[in-house]
Amino acid sequence: MSSLNLLLDPVESPGVLAAKLWVSGGSSADPSDQRGVHHLLGSLLSRGCGPFNHIELADLVEGCGAGLRCDTHEDGTLISLKCLEQDADQLLPLIAWLLVDPHLSQNQVQLEKGLTLQALQRQREDPFHLAFDGWRQLAYGNGPYGHDPLGISHELETIGSAQLQQQAINLRLSNPILALAGSFPDNIEEQLLEMEPFQALCHYTKDGNVKSFHGTDRPTVSNENQPTIRLTAENTSQVVIMVGQPSLNHAHKDDLSLRLLQFHFGYGMSSLLFKRLREEHGVAYDVGVHHPARCLASPFVFHASTSEEKAEISLKLLLESWQDMSKVKLSSEEMALAKAKFRGSLAHSTQTTGQRAERRAQLRALGLADDQDLRDLEAIDSLKSQDLQQAACTHLNSPLLSLCGPQKTIESLGHLWGTEFLP
Amino acid sequence: MTVKPRQPELSHWFLENGTRCVTAAMKDAPLTCLDLWCQAGSFCEHAGEEGIAHFLEHMVFKGSQRLQAGEFDRRVEALGGSSNAATGFDDVHFHVLVPPSAAEEALELLLDLVFSPAFSPETFVLERDVVLEEIAQYRDQPDERVIQTLLQACCANHPYGRPILGFEASLNASDPEAMHAFHQRRYIGENCCLAVAGAIPNGFVDVLNESALVSIASHPNSEKELNRQSAVNTSLSVNSHLDFKTGREDIRVSRLESGRFVMAWKIPPASNQTMIMGADLATTLLSEGRRSRLVQHLREELQIVESIDMDVTALEQGSLVMLEACCPEEQLNQVEQEIHKVLGASLESPPLPQEMVRSQQLVRNGLCFNLEAAGQVAGLAGNHALWNRPQPLLQPLEHLDRWSAKRLQEDIFPIFQPDKSFTLVARPLEDC
Repeated sequence: MSSLNLLLDPVESPGVLAAKLWVSGGSSADPSDQRGVHHLLGSLLSRGCGPFNHIELADLVEGCGAGLRCDTHEDGTLISLKCLEQDADQLLPLIAWLLVDPHLSQNQVQLEKGLTLQALQRQREDPFHLAFDGWRQLAYGNGPYGHDPLGISHELETIGSAQLQQQAINLRLSNPILALAGSFPDNIEEQLLEMEPFQALCHYTKDGNVKSFHGTDRPTVSNENQPTIRLTAENTSQVVIMVGQPSLNHAHKDDLSLRLLQFHFGYGMSSLLFKRLREEHGVAYDVGVHHPARCLASPFVFHASTSEEKAEISLKLLLESWQDMSKVKLSSEEMALAKAKFRGSLAHSTQTTGQRAERRAQLRALGLADDQDLRDLEAIDSLKSQDLQQAACTHLNSPLLSLCGPQKTIESLGHLWGTEFLP
Repeated sequence: MTVKPRQPELSHWFLENGTRCVTAAMKDAPLTCLDLWCQAGSFCEHAGEEGIAHFLEHMVFKGSQRLQAGEFDRRVEALGGSSNAATGFDDVHFHVLVPPSAAEEALELLLDLVFSPAFSPETFVLERDVVLEEIAQYRDQPDERVIQTLLQACCANHPYGRPILGFEASLNASDPEAMHAFHQRRYIGENCCLAVAGAIPNGFVDVLNESALVSIASHPNSEKELNRQSAVNTSLSVNSHLDFKTGREDIRVSRLESGRFVMAWKIPPASNQTMIMGADLATTLLSEGRRSRLVQHLREELQIVESIDMDVTALEQGSLVMLEACCPEEQLNQVEQEIHKVLGASLESPPLPQEMVRSQQLVRNGLCFNLEAAGQVAGLAGNHALWNRPQPLLQPLEHLDRWSAKRLQEDIFPIFQPDKSFTLVARPLEDC
């Protein structure tokens, strides 16, 4: 297939096929007054496309016992199909139809818009979500990662068919990458080329109109004049603490060092945060490090939730740990453990056909080699503790704090942040 | 034509002490999963022990007679592996996922940790604080509070009606001795099962048969005969009858952002696999996918709910089916009426052929899709074996064929009626 990026990963499975179609253009590409448009579009793609209206489409997919969904991430839109191999010839065309001919009918737009607005409202029940929402606004402001992929309610209200149609055109021109994993016929590539919607998809990409939304680091909004703390008052029994900063994209040469730091500080029960906050002080149940693979400056965030009376010590411990990244060199045993976790995590995250297909599509979308994970495995061997320390000094030197919890407590912590803790 | 899906072959056997073992070799699997199951869920707690089953699960990772606190995690993760555990109403399981070359060492570590825990007083106090934080974290999730209120109401006089995490008071009153007593009572051969799935190294079964698993205690009163069909549950001392209460309650919940309409029904226990499969089929027909009756009517046509779904929770003392609808508060009354209409209509005529095919396919594939990862397979095989239902992984699907549309109408839908439910309506509480 000349004009469609296709990745095939045949693997033994219980007759299961996973297909992942990735297109650049996620919430980071939402126009500034239409935040949420890509998510809304994504939710509408499977509500009628090509020769199927929304009912016929649901009948076909559900009648095969399959799963078809569209998820809007920050960097792109991921269409996922999971089905039995025997149903692949009926169902695979759908994922291309979703892109080349979505119906976007008015009644379905209204329905999805209403559902999204309700989902946005319900998200507010989760204090972790509120804390992260606060953190990302602090870190990215109106930048590409500054809002939840679901969008902003008042902007969603104004989005109409014209904007959705425009984004649908952009989407199909956004360099689709198709990855298949699991059980499928040997001649699957030829079969795909014979399918009408894939031919149409090839036609779009042949025009040379490939549009990429990624590739460079865009600056975040933070600078010396920006606030470094965000408080979200909620009537909860715990305080959620998030401290971190926008860091690097997944392809950056130093990101491997940050990922090893992530493994050392936040992965598994042997991680430093787990040991320090849970085992040594018993102040939190849920602790970890959030550092997803992103096209642009990815969040690098320490998080914990703790009761009001332990919030101050928890914050101190998190900040002490944050500073340790640039002040304390990992011992040779700690480096070996972080590398072992890194190697283990690759095997853990490629167990199912869906995981395998998604990782393959993701690597290509990030502009990385198809065998990047293997290259990384080799590359970590040569990384030393001073490399991690240097990376932390360079890229993790301006933490931002978000707190969600009872007003009095978070204000008190905020005061401490300004007077004692602010690095 | 329906092609029979491939499934890992299982091998089952017993050890002399009554421990069940099962292996499931999976071609191409990159990892080996060791999943140790024990009939030691919150159901097994006596009065005053509330929360100890889950707390013990935490304490197991705090070291053994041989391993220092944290040593297990460090060694497993240094092997490129991971570990975790989960406590349910009926059982608890501890699983380790490692590269196959490390499976033997991981087995040794896991068995030492689970069967010879240290329960040191210092770590006991610290870890209790962690569990109390876990309780506080759940309390801050309004959804969790709604579901817990429902369970408390419908299973009022049964362990299923109280939180698995326990109560602050009972946890604060507990001590290492009480935990040790619970461990001795429940962590015995007849109550345990080890499942191994994924890439299984050559000779691993021999390693297992010579491991510390062989020497764990068996029940003092159990007969050492191998007719294990009757061995299950011999040591349960808690009244097992699930006395389900029907009724209706309206509550207001702090920090709830939208209305919740939830219902629960009792169905037969997990051992009645035919009825569980019938319930699975019926709930799929009613609420899975856009063309299911409830989703289509309430979300797609009337557009009065954000989401609506039903779930079957198979439990040993009587299973539960729960329905949950999220909607704007002002729609709650209409949502209730329309749900009643849909449930009532299910009694009037059998499902259409296309509804049956659709539901059967979704249930069938749902099980197949869960056979990909070693952890999923070990979990399924281990749970079946633990509760004395050893069977090929896809065998539950044979029960599907026993459900005609007419039988579903006559035997299942009459259960899912409002008068047989406990209904809870939750509205947002205006915080001061």
